Amino acid sequence: MNKKTKRLLGRNEFYVAAIIIVLALIIQVISGQFIAINNLVDLARAIIVNAIYALCGLLAFVSTGADVSFPMIAGMTTYIIFKVAEVTALPAFVLVAMALAIGALCGCINGFFIVKYHFNSLIVTLSTSAICYGIAFGALKGVRIDVPDAFKAFSKWNLFTVRSGITGLGAKMHGAILIMILLYVLAYLVLRHTMVGRSIYAIGGDEISARRAGIQVDKVRFGVFVVNGMIAVIGGLCYACMCKNCSPMEYYGGENIVIAAIVLGGVRLTGGHGTLLGCLLGTFLLSMVSNSLTLIGVSVYWQNVFIGLIIVIGASISAIQAKRSLKASKELGKEAA
Amino acid sequence: MSEYILDCKGVCKSFGGVHALQNVDLRVKRGEVHCLAGENGCGKSTIIKAISGFQPQDSGTIEFDGKVYQSLSPSVSIDQGIQVIYQDMSVFPNLTVQENLAINTVISNKQKIYNHRQQREIAKKVMATLGLDLDLDDLVETLPVASKQLIAIARALYAKAKFLILDEPTTALTRKEVERLFEIIRDLKAKGLSILFVSHKLDEMYEISDSITIMRSGQTVYTGPMATLSEEDFTHYMTGRDFSDVDNKHAEERIQRDTQPAIELNNLSGSGFAGVSFKVQPGEIVGITGQLGSGRSELCNTLFGIEKATGGTITCSGKQVTISSVEDATRNGIALVPEDRLTEGLFLPVSIMENITVVNFDKFTKGLTLDSPAQIAESADWVKEIHVKTDDHLLPVQTLSGGNQQKVVLAKWLSTKPKILILNGPTVGVDIGAKYDIYALLRDLAKQGLAVLVASDDLTEVSRLCDRTVVMRGGIMTGEIADQELTVENLTKAIM
Repeated sequence: MNKKTKRLLGRNEFYVAAIIIVLALIIQVISGQFIAINNLVDLARAIIVNAIYALCGLLAFVSTGADVSFPMIAGMTTYIIFKVAEVTALPAFVLVAMALAIGALCGCINGFFIVKYHFNSLIVTLSTSAICYGIAFGALKGVRIDVPDAFKAFSKWNLFTVRSGITGLGAKMHGAILIMILLYVLAYLVLRHTMVGRSIYAIGGDEISARRAGIQVDKVRFGVFVVNGMIAVIGGLCYACMCKNCSPMEYYGGENIVIAAIVLGGVRLTGGHGTLLGCLLGTFLLSMVSNSLTLIGVSVYWQNVFIGLIIVIGASISAIQAKRSLKASKELGKEAA
Repeated sequence: MSEYILDCKGVCKSFGGVHALQNVDLRVKRGEVHCLAGENGCGKSTIIKAISGFQPQDSGTIEFDGKVYQSLSPSVSIDQGIQVIYQDMSVFPNLTVQENLAINTVISNKQKIYNHRQQREIAKKVMATLGLDLDLDDLVETLPVASKQLIAIARALYAKAKFLILDEPTTALTRKEVERLFEIIRDLKAKGLSILFVSHKLDEMYEISDSITIMRSGQTVYTGPMATLSEEDFTHYMTGRDFSDVDNKHAEERIQRDTQPAIELNNLSGSGFAGVSFKVQPGEIVGITGQLGSGRSELCNTLFGIEKATGGTITCSGKQVTISSVEDATRNGIALVPEDRLTEGLFLPVSIMENITVVNFDKFTKGLTLDSPAQIAESADWVKEIHVKTDDHLLPVQTLSGGNQQKVVLAKWLSTKPKILILNGPTVGVDIGAKYDIYALLRDLAKQGLAVLVASDDLTEVSRLCDRTVVMRGGIMTGEIADQELTVENLTKAIM
C-alpha cells in the first residue's frame, strides 16, 4: 500500500464519506426517493445551521476544548434582537451588528475565564450557556415570537425552488446557505493560509511548544471564543429566520448533535485535529440519517438509536486511528533501536 | 571578542521566598561543549529559563556574545542566536514534518500569511542543515522519538543558532541514537557552535563535554574542565556528601554462608530465558546483569509469578516450590520492585501511607473496614526506618522526588516481610545521592538477613552494589562474576 492511500485510509473524512455513499444507496434502493432533487435540496437546507455551529465546535476543540455555549448564546441573542426589532424601527444591518456585539461579548466572557484563570472550557461554557438560558427565559419570558419586519425579507429569501419529476414534491433553497458557504470559505482561508489559523492547530497540538515557538497562545484562544460567539449568533439568526419565528427553547441542547457530528468528522476531543471537510461531512451524515430514515418509514424515536450508533462508531474510528498512529511511532522507534 | 560566548554573573531568582538561584555564575567558551550537571531541583532548568528569556532573573547579568543583558525576553534570546532543545522536543505532533520544520522561521519572520510553497522551501532547507531525509507530509506523531529530536535540532540550527542548549537530550534515546546525536554535536562544535549540554549521565558527560559546571541547591559549586574532574569529586560536588563507603561492601559480615540458601534455581527456563542456575544466601546481594533483551527482566517476572516457568526448579529455604502466581511468590517470601516504578509500582496521586500499606490490606482489615490508625502507624514506622524525605506521609506520592518514590516502593514490599527481595533496575532515573542511599539501605536490609537480587544493566551499579553477579546474554546464563573479578571492564566484556 503506498503512503497516499495509507494516509487517506487514516482519515475519518474518508470513512464518513464512504458511509454517506453506502447509506444513500441503501435509502435510494428502499425508498426510491433519496436521489430526488427535492430531497437533496431539503437536505442541504437542513444542514445550514448545524454546519455553522460546527465551526464553533471545530475552533474550540482544535485550540482549547469543548464549547457548549453556542446554541444558547445564539438563542438568547436572537431573542433579544427580535424583541429590540419589535419595539424600535432599526434597520436590519444595525440589528445584525448589535447581535454580533452581544455574541462577541458572550465570547469575551468565555475567553476571559478560560485564558486568564485556566478554567476548563467545558465548565466555563456550560455556565455561560446556563446564564444565557436564564436570561432568555427569566428576564425575557422566552415565549415564541415571529420574525420582526426588519428580517422579513431575509426570512423569505429563497434562491430557487425545485420540484421532483416523479413525486411532484417541491423544495425551496433558502438564501442562508450562501452565508454558510461564505463562512466556510472564510474559515478555510483563515485556518489554512494564515498564521493565526495554523497557530490554532499548533496550540491544540502542544500548548507549551506553541508558547516556546513564540505563538501568542492566550490571544489566539481568547480570539477563538470571541469569534465563536459571533459565529453562533449568525447561526442563530439564520435558524430563526428560516423558521420564521424564534423560541429560545428550540436552541436548547443543540450542541449535542453538533459535537457528535464533528467528532464523527474527525475532530479529536484532545485537540489539534479536525478539518472543515470533516465538519461538513459529519453534519451532513447526521442530518441525512434523521431526514432520510423518515423516507424509509423509520419512526422518529428509532432514529435516535441510529444516530447514537453512528456516533459510537465514529468516535471509535477516531480513537482507533489515534491509537494506531501511536503504535506505529512506537514500532518505528523499536526498528530504529 | 571575548573568549566566552555566554557569561552569566551573579544570577539570582526566587519564587515566593525560595531561592531557586543564588549568585549563579555560568560561563561557556566559544566553540566548546559545556556540560551543566546537578541533581533534580538544583536550579538547572531555572538558569536555562533565564538564558532563553522565558523567566527573567531577579538580579545579575547575562552577557551573550559581547552584549550585557539585565534580562532577556524569548524573542531577544532567539534573535541573538540562543536555541533550546527541550527534553520533550517541543514539536507539534498533530502537524506535518514540513510545518514543524518551518513554523519557527515563519513565526520569527512575523508573517501573517502562511504560504505553503514557501514553507516547503524552508522545510527543505531546514532538513539540509542536518542532511535529514524525512517525508515532509508525514504527521510528526507517527515518527520515533529520535526523529522528533532531529527535527527540533534542525529547526534550531536553521534559526541561525550560535548557542545551543540541549536539555537532557539522551533520556528517551537508544544507545545507537545517542551515538548519532553525539556525532551531530561534534560536527556542530567543529562548525563553531557552542553547546550547553544538560545531563544526568556521567559517562555521557565524559564522552562529549569539554568542561563542566555543577550546580547544587541553586548555586554553582564547581566549574572547570571535564577531563580533570574525578568521579569521586563529581559525586561530591553533585550531592555535597562523600560516599567513600559506597564501595565498601561489608560482604563478610553480612552473608550467612552456613545456612540454607534463601533461593536456589536449578536449570530454570521460561519465556525469554533458559537454563538458569544459581543460589542466593541470606544476606547476600546478587546481581543479574545483561543487555536489553538478555532475559533479565523476564527472569525477575518469572521468579515473582508474573510469567510462568516452563522448566527447572525453584527452591526456597530448602523447600522446592512452584510459583505460578504473584500470590505464590508472596507466600514464599519473594517480593519484586518492578522496573518502571512509576507505572508498575505506585499509585501516584494516592498518599504515601496508602501506597506503603496497600499490599497488606488484609492485615489492616477489620470486618468490612480498614483499621486506619494501625495503617498509619505502620506506614510512619517505615517512613522513619528507610528515611523517606517528606513532611507528612499522608501527602500523595507524586510530591516526592524520584529517589524517595523508589524508597516508598521498597517500603511497600518490605512491609510484607519478604525473605528474598528482587529489584529490577532499582535506580533508573534516580539522583546520584538517592542512589547511594538506596545502596546503603539495601546493604542494611541484607545485614538483617534478606537475600537481595538486583537486575540491572547499569554496570557501575552492579560492580558497586553486588557481591556477585549472574551474567545473561540472549536469554542464556553465561556465567557468574564475583569478588575481585567484579569490575565494570569485566562486566562489559561479559555481557557483549
